[in-house]
Amino acid sequence: MQATISRLTERPNLWPWLLLTPLAVYLAVFFLVPLIDVVVMSFTEPRLTLGNYAHVVTGTLYQRVFINTFATAALVTIVCLLVGYPLAYLMSRASPRTAMLILALVTMSFWTSFLVRTYAWMVLLGDSGPIIGFLKAVGFEHPPHLLFTRFASTLAMVHILAPYMIMNIYSVMRKIDPVLIRSAQSLGARGASLFRHVYLPLTAPGIANGSVLVFVICLGFYVTPVLLGSPREQMIAGLIGTEIEEFLAFGRGSAMAIILLLITLVILTIYHRRFGLDKLWG
Amino acid sequence: MTSYLQLNGISKIYGDFTALSKVDLGVEKGEFVTFLGPSGSGKTTTLMIIAGFEKATTGDVLVDGQSIAAMAPHERNIGIVFQNYGLFPHKTARENVYFPLQMRDQAKVQGLRKASEMLDLVGLKDLGDRYPKEMSGGQQQRVALARALVFEPSLLLLDEPLGALDKNLREQMQIEIKRIQRTLGVTTIFVTHDQTEAMSMSDRIVVFEAGRIQQVATPLDIYHRPEARFVAGFIGESNLIDAVVLDPATRTAASTALGVVEFAPTEKAIQGKPVTLMIRPEHIRLSRKPIDGRRNARMKVETIVNYGDNALVIGNVGGQSMRVRVLGADVVIIKEGDECSISWLPESVYLIAG
Amino acid sequence: MNRLLITLGIIAVVFVVAPLVIVVPMSFSNARSLQFPPPGYWLGYYQAYFTDMGWLRPTFNSIIIAAGTTVLTMILVVPATFALVRHRFAGKSFADVMLLMPLAVPHIVMAIGYYSYLGKLGLVQTHLGVILAHTCLSVPIAFLVLSANLKGFDRTLERAAISLGASPVRTFIHVTLPILKPGLIISALFAFIQSFDETVVAIFISGRDAATLPRKMFDSIRQEADPVIAVVSTLLFVLVLIGIVAPPLWKAIRVRMAAIKTAPALSTIENRP
Repeated sequence: MQATISRLTERPNLWPWLLLTPLAVYLAVFFLVPLIDVVVMSFTEPRLTLGNYAHVVTGTLYQRVFINTFATAALVTIVCLLVGYPLAYLMSRASPRTAMLILALVTMSFWTSFLVRTYAWMVLLGDSGPIIGFLKAVGFEHPPHLLFTRFASTLAMVHILAPYMIMNIYSVMRKIDPVLIRSAQSLGARGASLFRHVYLPLTAPGIANGSVLVFVICLGFYVTPVLLGSPREQMIAGLIGTEIEEFLAFGRGSAMAIILLLITLVILTIYHRRFGLDKLWG
Repeated sequence: MTSYLQLNGISKIYGDFTALSKVDLGVEKGEFVTFLGPSGSGKTTTLMIIAGFEKATTGDVLVDGQSIAAMAPHERNIGIVFQNYGLFPHKTARENVYFPLQMRDQAKVQGLRKASEMLDLVGLKDLGDRYPKEMSGGQQQRVALARALVFEPSLLLLDEPLGALDKNLREQMQIEIKRIQRTLGVTTIFVTHDQTEAMSMSDRIVVFEAGRIQQVATPLDIYHRPEARFVAGFIGESNLIDAVVLDPATRTAASTALGVVEFAPTEKAIQGKPVTLMIRPEHIRLSRKPIDGRRNARMKVETIVNYGDNALVIGNVGGQSMRVRVLGADVVIIKEGDECSISWLPESVYLIAG
Repeated sequence: MNRLLITLGIIAVVFVVAPLVIVVPMSFSNARSLQFPPPGYWLGYYQAYFTDMGWLRPTFNSIIIAAGTTVLTMILVVPATFALVRHRFAGKSFADVMLLMPLAVPHIVMAIGYYSYLGKLGLVQTHLGVILAHTCLSVPIAFLVLSANLKGFDRTLERAAISLGASPVRTFIHVTLPILKPGLIISALFAFIQSFDETVVAIFISGRDAATLPRKMFDSIRQEADPVIAVVSTLLFVLVLIGIVAPPLWKAIRVRMAAIKTAPALSTIENRP
């Protein structure tokens, strides 16, 4: 359409630039600038200094929080994989109607807001909730407090992020040509070896996709760890929030935020080099 | 004198790839012309240049004496039926056919009525309220045709429209399209790679190859008097024999496969020139022994493909593979591996220069 | 291997679904605490939600902000998508990636940035401020959905329209837009939901005046675990449920109605002597 016009008028094609400009300008002003603001604050609050970074990188509290966050993110990713992979497999092998039903259920979970799901876990794990109730019923007289622990926060995060993993793996599984599996079987592959040598590698892109997505989201997770987790074992995002809200330490908070951002970008860049970023949210 | 549609010196070059070179063509008013050629031969590119979706690198396109090369495609008043029909899925058949009238700001009531009349003409009388997805391929085809004709275009262009249809439907649509074209008298260009289609539908065929026009002629002329080796090989089946002209007076040429061969009368024989001699498989007779009064050669039978009512016998004659069409009944007497005799008349040997 | 995976799969399904369902009975609970199973049932907390401005105002705020975000997002994204899907130009792959950047940045980082930046502009605790922030966050997802739609668009249709006499502008209006409509709607829907549910940035910049529903819920859960949260959760959950069940149901109804329309015509033909 527009290409025809420009070819007829023999001028370089300015049209795409015109279409792109509003969005580009908007993002520059309302996305890049605030981001730069954070970077600037990390170096200038409360005065021009590198101290914020020094403090954050060397402080034992901060180091513990970083390690804690990474470990939790890794744990959540692995459990999501253990939960998500069989479920995706179930969907791919079930009859079309059953698969649609399960997909609908997973989609419902996916679309329900983080807060609602976090609240659901508060009820489930609360002292007057069903799980404690069940434990008491089978004989535990003084069951441990489940809420406001790392356990609660991790469990809830697994629940919230599992659909991301499931959708990713399922979309890859769906595209696997059954002919490939049958060929492998005709060549002698069975059971565990069929899985390890044929099915697993074929689903690897879905596993990689899902894992990177879950890991990266988990690193920056704010809501669930703050509401359900232990105040003594915070994750990065929660600590940043505390620094800003409670201590008004904009410099330190910004420094932590930038470090979090850099780590996230590095992971995503590595992923982009290998797989291409557009596949992540496709 | 210029024809109704005139292409003068059209060429299309993309960087260092030449898609079309030196295309000159005249199409008369009301004529049904087919662009025939293999994929990539330039036929669709030429069509797109006429339609205005591609701009020619050099040359001009004239309709009724006026140059249209500078006109935008939506101003050219040319009806096009695309390969996948291009029917608007969000409009009914009638609304689809009404669309070009709508774009010409015609009043809605009259326009819709005219659209209905057009649908009648193409044989879809009561289907005006259906949506494209509720129609079969053949029906969608007709809607596309009606839509391209309702605004009385100066030209009708069809870009391989019958490719998606099965054989019976194809033949039916071929007849339909010809009927409608004859009724309306619209100048038509039909693009296809199917030579049977071209042969059965066209007033004239334009054979494209590698961006050039190889020949423009009536179907019979193309078949019996191909002017280029490519055309001979592309249309129908043929045996193509390399030879060198010995003596134009006695009409003889020397070939490795058949030795000295006599060819049919032609003005193109020049002594010493390398030529191609064409003999159609159906002009060769198969027998056990040579036949008097005809030219003969020995053939070793390699493959027999039996089609029931006829058979194709492929064999080796003097180092060259030759094909012979034989009546089904006659083929029972020979087997693969047999040595037999083939014979033909000099009139069946057609000389192609170049 | 097969059976093991399937068994694990079933357990996983229960894990994914069960917690959600809990919020529904909780909303009818008459207890003040988070007791489950609830000691008794009533509609009191539903009544509380629908009469408490402390909950209704954030709901309205969220709707207004999400609507504003959607409009702004679509205005920016629609032309940009056309540019990136249909044209080739220098810097295109760069633009492709940059557009997705807001998805890569953790919301907490943006929250600080917006708190500081919008603060300087005096837009903290205003609807406009949240809209401006949410638009950035919605843009990537709206773009992804729309570009997938646009990539699958059959361009022959536009060529056909042009050949039939439609200028490029009229082609866009009569052919491109109507056919793109479903994609545009879904893209807008994603943008709306993204803004409506967005929590972290809203916590920091929506303040009291423009407090969004997620912000109110967050504060509520943190401070006193107000049972009305269960009501809100149930309402949101039911909305999602309707959103997922409605389209196939609507389709099935339409098919049934179309069959009913043609049936009487057939029966009159058969009943004629």
